[in-house]
Amino acid sequence: MTADTNHDSEHDTREVATDGGMSDVEREKQVDYLDVEINLLKPATPFMRDHLRVIWLGFAIWALTTFGPITLTRIAPDVMTTQMPVIGFPLHYFLLAIVGPGAALILSVWYARKRDQIDDKYGIEQPTAAPEPTETTSDDATAADGGVSE
Amino acid sequence: MIDAMVAMPLQSDMLPQGLDISFKALPALIVVGMMLTFMVAGFMYKVADTDNMWVAGRSIGNIENGMAIGANWMSAATYLGVAATVALSGVYGLAYVVGWTTGYFILLIFMAAQMRRFGKYTAPDFVGDRFNSDTARALAAITTFLIGFVYTLGQARGMGLVGMYILGDWSAITGGALSAYQTMMIIFMVITIGYLSLSGMLGATKNMVLQYIILIVAFLLGLVATGWTTGYTTVLPQLEYGMMIDSLSSEFSDPFVGGSYYLWVATCFSLVFGTCGLPHVLVRFYTVQNERIARWSCTWGLFFISLLYLSAPAFAAIGVSLYSDQIGAVYGDPGMSGAAADVLVVTAAQLADLPQWFVGFVAAGGIAAAIATTAGLFIAASSAISHDIYANIINEDATQRQQVLVGRLSIVAIGVLSIIFALDPQQPIAALVGFAFSLAAIVLFPMFFLGLWWENTNRPGALSGMVTGIIVWFIPMFNEGNFGLVNGGEGLGIEVISTWMPAIGSGLIGVPIVFAVTIIVSLITDEPPLETKQMVRQCHSPEPMPKDKTAADVVAERNGNAPADD
Repeated sequence: MTADTNHDSEHDTREVATDGGMSDVEREKQVDYLDVEINLLKPATPFMRDHLRVIWLGFAIWALTTFGPITLTRIAPDVMTTQMPVIGFPLHYFLLAIVGPGAALILSVWYARKRDQIDDKYGIEQPTAAPEPTETTSDDATAADGGVSE
Repeated sequence: MIDAMVAMPLQSDMLPQGLDISFKALPALIVVGMMLTFMVAGFMYKVADTDNMWVAGRSIGNIENGMAIGANWMSAATYLGVAATVALSGVYGLAYVVGWTTGYFILLIFMAAQMRRFGKYTAPDFVGDRFNSDTARALAAITTFLIGFVYTLGQARGMGLVGMYILGDWSAITGGALSAYQTMMIIFMVITIGYLSLSGMLGATKNMVLQYIILIVAFLLGLVATGWTTGYTTVLPQLEYGMMIDSLSSEFSDPFVGGSYYLWVATCFSLVFGTCGLPHVLVRFYTVQNERIARWSCTWGLFFISLLYLSAPAFAAIGVSLYSDQIGAVYGDPGMSGAAADVLVVTAAQLADLPQWFVGFVAAGGIAAAIATTAGLFIAASSAISHDIYANIINEDATQRQQVLVGRLSIVAIGVLSIIFALDPQQPIAALVGFAFSLAAIVLFPMFFLGLWWENTNRPGALSGMVTGIIVWFIPMFNEGNFGLVNGGEGLGIEVISTWMPAIGSGLIGVPIVFAVTIIVSLITDEPPLETKQMVRQCHSPEPMPKDKTAADVVAERNGNAPADD
């Protein structure tokens, strides 16, 4: 991990010191991952806690956008099959065929950016040994991306 | 209830109505040119060492890998099968659209980067190393082989059906022993096998980018042109087809006509978690430099895939409308056959009176899709045999030359096996491929997920879970008599099983069962050794890993190469 002694003020404002003044980033640096238990429900390190929060939030929204529309159609078929104005789709058809896959794509972009931001926060840089054969996108992860809901 | 559940029509007549079956010079030229390009690309990237054969030297970048994921993924089931199922089974068909796209998000958040960090060559390698067991490795390798085989049946069916549009009826050269479909299927399968045994994964990856471009352009241009010339849609058919849904039969959009709510959820569930267990999809994450590229290429992959999945229902709507205007009723008895539906994308372009070369281009896209995926599957299956079973279990001193030879021989073996079983496929393309997803969801997904996220999963747990999974997968297959396995295709016909555990969606019941078995057995047996746990931990560390290292290397270094006590 990179030894970064200069605290990034932007990040530090977010870390309210609750444990003797050590920030998440500092605590994370003392962690040796080969010694911490991997538990999906009980994250052992600040990094994993941040990461799992994103994962579970994404998973919950995914479950709603994937299985929600068909379930609603089962519960309230009349409402769900009404024709939408302008585009003409029956509502359930639109939610299944377009919103379902679209939401997964938006969520993926959201997750990948969030994960880049977490990497930034903990000063993690991925090595790129050889020059990239293709262009790399989204090098900056500065934009706070809230594009989750449809 | 049962009638609604068995919405997928069985059929044995493999001559799709409405499709113009004859030899066409220009389309044939397009396909031959395309195949030659693949051959040349494969030959140019011809490789002889295993590192290049399996993971392309880990040198593939973001977008390139995303396109390869797309091409690898978008098989005949996507190109032909999704539109076919949406056309025939209406809203139930959308379970395929949703399942085959949204699964990538689960793959992304739970597995892509961790898999990359684990750093092994193949999916069975992961299982074998994670659970310290050659038996587990062999079970995973056999499952991988079985998935490749079942999956390929759908591709072979697609190649045979589309091939007839382009090359016509060649059954005469077999003296009438084989039907037009069978002859065409064999011709294209032989070409695929030949091309694959020449090139390895690097060739295949480079080819896949090419294949992705061909198939996405063919599909999107085909859709826009078909919609435009018939006046149904203009520039954005993916949204405009909403306006025409009202004019189609109610079977197209009424919910739960083509399949019950339960069947919809079960199918979608199986496809989502099957996506996360498919060896030929997971292997694409080993081919990248670092975890960040693994994540972004997964996202790019989903983007490239969505382009087609958002368009397939539009193609289905236009196809259904054209078919019912010009050929006959789509729904009811007799209705459109499964074979006709499977080539609806091509038929629609033909019915729209588009020029023959253009329809041939659309058909060529379908063949490119089938070949690209078959290539990925065969690579995964053959590496399971040559790397995981031969080099790791049978002959530990195998030279690279021997491994590559065994790999090539197993490609031929799986090819021959698929050809035999694809001679008379009783299910539509999408359903055949769906069975492979159920298998991946039930047997492999729990191993990957628990293996990566719960360090206490141990060898007995994994072994009992996988054995249970394989048995569970076969139950509905026998019950429904798929592949003519039981009672000549009649199956056992036990109603409770066909209602609640259809083969196409058996993951909904199977995945929780395998999770439970694996967890319970792991809990009542000894914990795995510390080294294994450390390997799992290494997969979750945020610290970057060099691309040539595996989690096992890092753990061994840390422990001074000495085996740790547990």
